[in-house]
Amino acid sequence: MVTEALNDGDRRNFLIKLTSVVGGAGVAATCVPFVASMNPSSDVLAKAETEVDLTNITPGGMHTVAWQGKPVFILHRTPEQIKASTESNGGLQPEADSNRVQKPEWLVVIGVCTHMGCVPNKEGPGWECHCHGSQYDDSGRVIRGPAPKNLEVPPYRFVADNKIVIGKA
Amino acid sequence: MNKFMMVLASCCLAASALASSEVKLDTVKVGVDASTVGRGVEAMMSDCHSCHSMKYIKYRDLVSLGVDSKKVDEWRGDQPLDAALMAQMPEADAMAAYGSAPPDLSLMAKAREGGANYVYSYLLGYYTTPDGTTHNHIFPATKMPDILGMSNAKEAAERTAIQSKARDIVSYLVWASDPHAQERQSLGYYVMGYLFVLTLMLYFVKNQIWAKLK
Amino acid sequence: MPHRIINWIDQRFPLTSFVKHELTGYPTPRNLSYWWNFGFLAGFVLMLQVATGIFLAMHYKADVALSFDSIQHIMRDVNYGWLLRYLHSTGASAFFFVIFIHMARTLYYGSYRAPRELLWWTGQGLLLLLMGTAFMGYLLPWGQMSFWGATVITNLFRATPFIGDEVVIWLRGDYTVGDATLTRFFALHYLFPFLIIGAVIVHLVALHTVKSSNPSGINLQDKDNIPFHPYFTIKDLYGLGLFLMLYSVFVFFMPDSLIEPANNIPANPMVTPNHIVPEWYFLPFYAILRSVPNMVGGVVAMGVSVLIFAFMPYLDRSRIPGGAHYRPMFRGLFYFFAIDMGVLGYIGYIPPTDQSILIGQVATFIYFTLFLLLPFLSKFEERWLMKRGLTPEIEALIASEAKEISEKRSKR
Repeated sequence: MVTEALNDGDRRNFLIKLTSVVGGAGVAATCVPFVASMNPSSDVLAKAETEVDLTNITPGGMHTVAWQGKPVFILHRTPEQIKASTESNGGLQPEADSNRVQKPEWLVVIGVCTHMGCVPNKEGPGWECHCHGSQYDDSGRVIRGPAPKNLEVPPYRFVADNKIVIGKA
Repeated sequence: MNKFMMVLASCCLAASALASSEVKLDTVKVGVDASTVGRGVEAMMSDCHSCHSMKYIKYRDLVSLGVDSKKVDEWRGDQPLDAALMAQMPEADAMAAYGSAPPDLSLMAKAREGGANYVYSYLLGYYTTPDGTTHNHIFPATKMPDILGMSNAKEAAERTAIQSKARDIVSYLVWASDPHAQERQSLGYYVMGYLFVLTLMLYFVKNQIWAKLK
Repeated sequence: MPHRIINWIDQRFPLTSFVKHELTGYPTPRNLSYWWNFGFLAGFVLMLQVATGIFLAMHYKADVALSFDSIQHIMRDVNYGWLLRYLHSTGASAFFFVIFIHMARTLYYGSYRAPRELLWWTGQGLLLLLMGTAFMGYLLPWGQMSFWGATVITNLFRATPFIGDEVVIWLRGDYTVGDATLTRFFALHYLFPFLIIGAVIVHLVALHTVKSSNPSGINLQDKDNIPFHPYFTIKDLYGLGLFLMLYSVFVFFMPDSLIEPANNIPANPMVTPNHIVPEWYFLPFYAILRSVPNMVGGVVAMGVSVLIFAFMPYLDRSRIPGGAHYRPMFRGLFYFFAIDMGVLGYIGYIPPTDQSILIGQVATFIYFTLFLLLPFLSKFEERWLMKRGLTPEIEALIASEAKEISEKRSKR
């Protein structure tokens, strides 16, 4: 077998190096579509924003919508509920009600208990989580543990008087 | 190699032989610009969607295509942006009215031999016989009425307007059948350019390495 | 550090010696032409199909109610899903394109001759596995052509003696091609590539035992061999670049030219499309099926038409080296066969008419006749060439082979 033509000088050859770099870049670029295909597809991303029509929620009524697969509570608060919420600053994690709403009559919170991720039930004033007994008021603030934090307020905006889009502030 | 070339050549021959035995299709130059496709969307919305669905197209796709979002809001009413473009008439009613369910149009531009040319020729293929009934050259068994009115259009200007409307609709259908076609082609130019450069370099490297062999 | 790791491994596993013997230092005939690039290309396309296939399977749903929609989901919603799908659907055609050339090269240069029979037969097995994989994959989009293609092909098994109908139902798991069929085809379509990889390893072990054939048709002396790396790694890569350009033209600019329009209509068991055709790579064999008026006969003829290649080492009785290169009659036969394949492909594509059926029957007859004539023709040709006097070139080839054989014998 002819082997004498092989020598290590080849390795230092500029053309071979350049070609390897260009080829390697191509292989790396080819990986992009494969990796990207595992990211959320456009129909999943479309769920990043949820549009909610508020017309049919009566004062005192609550509506649960799915946003990115999670329940979001939309509470149409009565003047009494607003009054009760603004008078206190909550319990374990004090926060003014005005920081948690854009319009006092509409409370929008993610319905996932900040303790272990159960979905709290609307009971009496506020919510109670049946998993471990945490309680939240009508502003979604935790007033009894073991939950450590208030219910999270998702980013949302009013696109009309009676329409909100959850997902982008 | 020869074997493949033969098969390929025979396929081309077969395709031309087939085409000649069927009705001759008009050729349409499909538009890919947003305005043509946008006009096609509007024409479809007013003339086609009462019976036909486009179930693989969502309202959000129209928005990202560049259709005015106010118009999209008008069309979708209280449906979410993520809703598919469904027919306004329930399928059962359409069955009762026409005797067959109107096909979904999402893939129509790809689902017939002749593609866009077929749809274009079909839309314009209506004519009226002396006894007053309307037929279609391209698809004689069609149940669809002459929506664009080609069979009644006498004046040249009117016919031209209908032709241009048909072209808009077909352009939209072509986009809908493969929404990533533009992206695919523009990526294709980069890929071809890259491969050309790389192959050229590999060719030089190959020559260099083989030149050392006595 | 890397050196130490390799040392550590080498004490426990023959890594370096394996790479040296079988990859980088593998002795390869220096006179290989570009027709010898297609084995490597076939391996590359196999890897490409496996990679795109696995990523497509992450989004595909094998269910008659969902599969058509899931393909559209891939084409429209999944990031670069359209690219993966077109790479895969075009890749199927590319695979057959490469394999057919690989086979044509073997036939032209007589690479199937002793001692390469097993190499040729493992290749035949690979072709059958590839055909099976392609056929099952074609059902998955659940379009009209998918459905009716699978219906027709599974019906071929009705030709099984005595239990034909039962076999067909067993294959489908249903009275017609249905949900059970789709799900099992998906399972097997995912499995088969790995069987192919296994068979490729067997194919390569056989190759490395008998070494590559070469255009001269004889085993070269050792001085005419060169190490695989860097000479053939770079030659294969250069060939790959050319191949990828052709492939990319199809993937990016005309991917639908390889997909029948009717497959963009969801499967409908109640309506058969007017004109059903298999994919281009099955057309010649499909034409043979249609040419035989008897159902069982047609199925047998089609099966034999694929398997008959396996007999080539025995059908070709000539001892003249160099394949078709030094053998004018065999060369004529090769090109005649290629044309016949083309005619069969064309007949398989067009809808059957009286005339096309007749042409198909003649082409089918020629197809088998060529194989059956080969033993006599190759012997006759050998005698004729001997009588006419071999050219010094061929004499030299035969002499050098004889010398090599005697050297090997004396070494032993």
